Amino acid sequence: MDFQGIYDRLKEQGAAGMQEANLPRLPDPADKKDKGRGGDPYVLVDPAQICAFMDLAKKDERLHFEILADLSASDPAVDAENFWVIYQLLSVKHRHRLMVKCSIPKSDPRIDTISGINRAAGWHERECSEMFGITFNGHPDPRNILLPDDWVGFPLRKDYEFPKEYQGISCI
Amino acid sequence: MPILENAFEENLLTTKVDWLLNWAKLNSVWPMTFGLACCAIEMMAVGAAHHDLDRFGAGAFRATPRQADLMIVAGTVNFKMAERIKRLYDQMPHPKYVIAMGACATGGGPYFKFGYTVVKGVDRVVPVDVYIAGCPPRPEALLEGLMALQRKIRATAVIRKPAITV
Repeated sequence: MDFQGIYDRLKEQGAAGMQEANLPRLPDPADKKDKGRGGDPYVLVDPAQICAFMDLAKKDERLHFEILADLSASDPAVDAENFWVIYQLLSVKHRHRLMVKCSIPKSDPRIDTISGINRAAGWHERECSEMFGITFNGHPDPRNILLPDDWVGFPLRKDYEFPKEYQGISCI
Repeated sequence: MPILENAFEENLLTTKVDWLLNWAKLNSVWPMTFGLACCAIEMMAVGAAHHDLDRFGAGAFRATPRQADLMIVAGTVNFKMAERIKRLYDQMPHPKYVIAMGACATGGGPYFKFGYTVVKGVDRVVPVDVYIAGCPPRPEALLEGLMALQRKIRATAVIRKPAITV
């Protein structure tokens, strides 16, 4: 299925929390003012209902997204109010992909874990958690995966300040 | 060895103790099997047949720090690794030497500005004898570094004060 097909199927199945979708298209040659729409196709999902959405995407027969190819987060700008949490889903059976985005506020960055649905999410969520300071509610093993346990700060945030020293080793 | 067989009677060999000790030390600098990043690939190439680190008596890569004389820090050192490097260095018996191979181990390399977990040079953790430039250094550069270390060992003295400092 192409993205339009996936989107329609999701709507048809009443996917929980689906808010909007980015459907890129070429400009209409007849209409000079039409510039089309750029970017990658994605669906925006309400973070409170991400588990239900992922469950449907995995279990629905026509969608069958059995693999979570990637889970990452993004801090768009210093003055942005939200983080993105981005899920890349892949169906080997039907040979199609889907990007799912969630927007969570920087003031209280929390989202439910999906490691109960896709176990691959476990380590990715740990990485997001230490790099962006996002809390994944209900994560079975929320330790740091890359950074030392006593690390201060979240390095991939745009407003991150580099440490001056770490355990007596100068960083400058 | 048929050529040397019976060539010498019971003989005396006169030499200097320092020279003999240094000769033994510098021709058996056994490195530790220890690579951190892409520099380690070059280090493996140096250990393999084409460049043949064994010509210098340094081809016996030991799997434990307790048998090693030389630590070739081949790659990027981050803070989590620095703690381990310090411990490995402490476990090596004297005399021990450290070669900082490549830009990362020498001074942080490409991670100098934005590498938040990269140690800006392994000399902030353990004392370094020889620095090798390059990213990664050519195998020849590592051989040159090893020879520089051998020159350094040759100039050391156990009995008397060293005449030259390298």
